[in-house]
Amino acid sequence: MSFREKIHWIALVGLLSAFGWYFLNYPWEIANSPKGMYIAVWMLLPVTIIFLVPMVAGAAFFAIRSPKDADLKEDEREKGIHLRGTHLAYYPLAIGVQLNIFVLINGFNYGYAVTILIATLVIAELIRVGSQLYYYRRGY
Amino acid sequence: MWGRSYIIIAVATDPMAQTPFTNDIRTLRFLAGEMTQGDLGDKVGVTRQTIAAIEQGKYSPSLEVAFRIAHVFGKPLEEVFQWQRD
Repeated sequence: MSFREKIHWIALVGLLSAFGWYFLNYPWEIANSPKGMYIAVWMLLPVTIIFLVPMVAGAAFFAIRSPKDADLKEDEREKGIHLRGTHLAYYPLAIGVQLNIFVLINGFNYGYAVTILIATLVIAELIRVGSQLYYYRRGY
Repeated sequence: MWGRSYIIIAVATDPMAQTPFTNDIRTLRFLAGEMTQGDLGDKVGVTRQTIAAIEQGKYSPSLEVAFRIAHVFGKPLEEVFQWQRD
């Protein structure tokens, strides 16, 4: 397994853990209020910590364990995998933004809008990382 | 040195399909003093995983990488890669 694939696995686990915690603990009953928005924004602090700490620790661990792999530049196959994953992630991103516009027009805002934007980013990232892992496993 | 531009020489339409050509990279590696996939990858400028994917027919390399592989073994391209499907 290449260094980049390992980092992708850590990112996938980190995304699921951090944003799983966020969506399970968000106070949905006050979402459509200014307080709901502030809570959503403040909850991003622990989310960032939950996501970044394993990413940094994992990257450092694998880089120390196999520095040669960590120093390797992305080759053409990996660039192709990278581009395919990013391309696939565009669709949920576009749908999420449209959904957010629809929600704002229909009187939902504050925490709902922030949370839908966060969910859009998370789904897009999960599709990007997940599809790239699939391509890494498949070979291309 | 390695150049950023490359041409895809074969693109499979079925994502699970194998490339439309076979290759003798494994044999050539063996004959070249049991060269490892990692060693070949280092010489060509790709990762070990990419060499493994090419060997298994899962990935079509760019024309540049195909030529680099042939050059490592001192063989013409058609002795390393053989077109199979018409």
